Amino acid sequence: MRQQLPLKISVSGLRGIVGESLTPKLAARFASAFGTYLGQGQVLVGQDSRPSGLMLKKAVISGLLATGCQPVEVGILPIPTILFLTKEKQAAGAIIVTASHNPLEWNGLKFIGPEGLYLKSSQVEEFLDIFHQGEFTYVPADRLKHVLQEKQAGQLHLEKIFSRLKVKAIQKRRLRVVADCANGAGATLLPQFLEQLGCEAIFINTELSGRFAHQSEPTPENLKGLCQKVKEYQADLGLAQDADADRLALVDEKGRPLGEDMTLTIAVAHLLSRKRGPVVVNLSASMVIDDLGKKYRVPVFRTKVGEINVVEKMLEEKAVIGGEGNGGVIWPEVHPCRDSFTAAGLVLEALAISGQKLSELAASFPRYFMVKEKISCPTELAYRVVLNLKNKYEKEGENISTLDGLKILWSDSWVHLRPSNTEPIIRIIAEARNQLKVKKLVERFRREIKETIKKLS
Amino acid sequence: MKPLKLNISGVRGIVGQTITPELVVDFCCAFGTMIPPGPVLVGRDTRTSGLMLQEAATAALMSTGHEVIDLDICPTPIIQFLVKKYRASGAVSITAGHNTAEWNALNFINAQGTYLNEFQGTELLDLYHLGKFALKKIKKSPALIHELNSEEIYFNWLLSKLKVEEIKKSALKVVVDPCNGAGSKLVSRFLNYLGCQVIAVNDLGNGFFPHDPEPRPRNAGELSALVKATGAAVGFLLNSDVSRISLVTEEGETLSEEYTLPLVADYWLKRQPGPVVTNLSTSRMIEEVAKKYGVKVSRTRVGQSAIIQAMFQENAVLGGEGSGSVAIKDFQPAFDAFLVLGLILERLATEQKYLSELVGELPRYHIVKDKVVCPPHRLHSLVAETRKLFPGAEINSLDGLRVEKKDLWIHIRASATEPLIRIIAEGSSASRVRQEVDRVVSFLNRMIG
Repeated sequence: MRQQLPLKISVSGLRGIVGESLTPKLAARFASAFGTYLGQGQVLVGQDSRPSGLMLKKAVISGLLATGCQPVEVGILPIPTILFLTKEKQAAGAIIVTASHNPLEWNGLKFIGPEGLYLKSSQVEEFLDIFHQGEFTYVPADRLKHVLQEKQAGQLHLEKIFSRLKVKAIQKRRLRVVADCANGAGATLLPQFLEQLGCEAIFINTELSGRFAHQSEPTPENLKGLCQKVKEYQADLGLAQDADADRLALVDEKGRPLGEDMTLTIAVAHLLSRKRGPVVVNLSASMVIDDLGKKYRVPVFRTKVGEINVVEKMLEEKAVIGGEGNGGVIWPEVHPCRDSFTAAGLVLEALAISGQKLSELAASFPRYFMVKEKISCPTELAYRVVLNLKNKYEKEGENISTLDGLKILWSDSWVHLRPSNTEPIIRIIAEARNQLKVKKLVERFRREIKETIKKLS
Repeated sequence: MKPLKLNISGVRGIVGQTITPELVVDFCCAFGTMIPPGPVLVGRDTRTSGLMLQEAATAALMSTGHEVIDLDICPTPIIQFLVKKYRASGAVSITAGHNTAEWNALNFINAQGTYLNEFQGTELLDLYHLGKFALKKIKKSPALIHELNSEEIYFNWLLSKLKVEEIKKSALKVVVDPCNGAGSKLVSRFLNYLGCQVIAVNDLGNGFFPHDPEPRPRNAGELSALVKATGAAVGFLLNSDVSRISLVTEEGETLSEEYTLPLVADYWLKRQPGPVVTNLSTSRMIEEVAKKYGVKVSRTRVGQSAIIQAMFQENAVLGGEGSGSVAIKDFQPAFDAFLVLGLILERLATEQKYLSELVGELPRYHIVKDKVVCPPHRLHSLVAETRKLFPGAEINSLDGLRVEKKDLWIHIRASATEPLIRIIAEGSSASRVRQEVDRVVSFLNRMIG
């Protein structure tokens, strides 16, 4: 199998190893290409806590200045805060120096377009063309701007969220919270957020040294420390952010991880109880969302996996809530992006208003079981394998969706097969009413994929 | 034709055309690779493009494992002084000195606080072309130290070496024009320390040059008018990084920048006689002054790097150029206009004479400077061609062509910083000098076609 390359340029930006593939020159060139693409205006520049962040940020600022943009430094901030601020400040775009949950020696650049939205794939294509052609619109000295600083970014974001929440009700309940910031930028803002909501909060993994105490994905395996602390402090709940602070996982008052998809379920259910309207989620999100759609008599739309796909559909359908099953809740009233702060706000409000415990709230939804697995398979072959299976199930007359890979739906279960964009693997996600059934389903498709790989290679 | 010039100690060009973040990053990565580990100072003049270059330079130096000490806007001679104070491995001064606002440049300074010498400059270029830089993995946040008021350390040192009490007693009225460059505010502060009554114009330091930042009479109109109007004893005109300076007399006469060096030498050599170094294009006045004190003048190639290296070699006490720059061994091996300011005021105060009188003591020559724009790849061959114009004359070809005639000398050389051929001639008869320069200019124009 092909070794993982030390440099990745993809829809979600640029990633590389500092001192090897990710050089200040590359960062400056990307920033100049982005400045050329945006055609001047203000561009926010944020970063995560990695030690190489300052070096790369300087290169980015130089590249932006050279193309006549005005960089606005916002410092270390959660990604949703920067997205929100890009729109709030009517900036032309933003560049974030971050490699999310990659190891310390990695870093990268994320590019945010106007309105604070990730670039669409067509936009990324245009922007990468500029980069590869290497013709940047450098401006003469008299048109160069200076650098601005924005220090209020975090508070502006929180104020916007609070303006949409029943803050008094949450404050009244004086919830006891343990929060795990995964050593990510969420630590810069979460304490303030919980304090202003009247929570009594304890924090773990808030140190911003660029070193991660555990893997960033807020999956149950990574949350053992948090679960223990929740029990120890007899807290009402535990909150777990990922390194970018765009996703949120929950731990109930008994110290049990609820699974990432429960965050979206609670947020959607709570919001629909306040305000009816369309819901948009990706193909891999739980069937609970469909049940909720039926209950509140609102349409549920499904999209390809990828935040920007969900966001675009939400804007198109004027959805009131949406997101991904991985703990990424999108509440467009605040800003159309995955945001662990809006997710936490909705969950806290749901608890405050219902007066229930988190375990009770979670138990109030129809119960499904989801399993996620991956199978190694070279990228090109992965596409052919999925296509082959699609043809087979199409012929058999199953209810399928080919929006993104292959999703096969039955009345009380589904399976989703998807070649990964970033790794040489095929992902299998399945959901069913009981644990045995979902295990069997995954087992069956694992076998089918392996057989197809053998047949095709 | 792309306006990019590499010289011994740096790289210069027009911002947005040749001076781009990529170029700055590459050169500074090469510099960071070349110098030993340790902190590097980075400072700039006030040009609007300065920050763009400084951010790229800082990123590059950090990527090669250096801690960066950010001096923000800082005159080059102060950066050069602070290199040794901070025991830094080197420094980058971002300034295009006397060039117009659309230009900028990286000037590389070694651990001794001098511009890179020929060998270091060659090594830097080799590393740049090779493109293999010693990039480091950054496992710990590198230090970026913002030094505030570091110029005070420099002022304290310089003041300790000047006769401050005597200057203060004279309470001279002084007009200064820093051209909104790096000397803005600082020069006034320095003059206040010397007890002067200061009138400053173009002192905003915003990088908008009201005239070309080149200290020479045609840029001194405003200054001269103010000297006359206020009855000041002297006027000072600076370039954008305070490495060059020209003077205006109490009568409002705008002195050629050629006077700066002999006026300082005529004072300093009296105190400390010793060898003098200048370049091939500088006025003969310096020889007359040297003769007075029985010391030798050596002439070398043009540029701060060449002059300073020659000063080390000749063990010279003083060096400088006709462009208004002076370095003195007892101070620091750097062109320093603060030093000139201090010594001129000291001279006025201790000798109790008017500047016009001091000028009167110098022999009067007529100097003519002209230039011909020339494609960069033909610069040197065309300069060599002009030899044909002077059959049988005594010729020095250390830097272009310098011809010594009985009644005049003429120097024809390729500019190190711009795609130009410069022609400089000096003699006692103005018309003879002009005639000789015109002969060369029309020859060159014919050749370029």
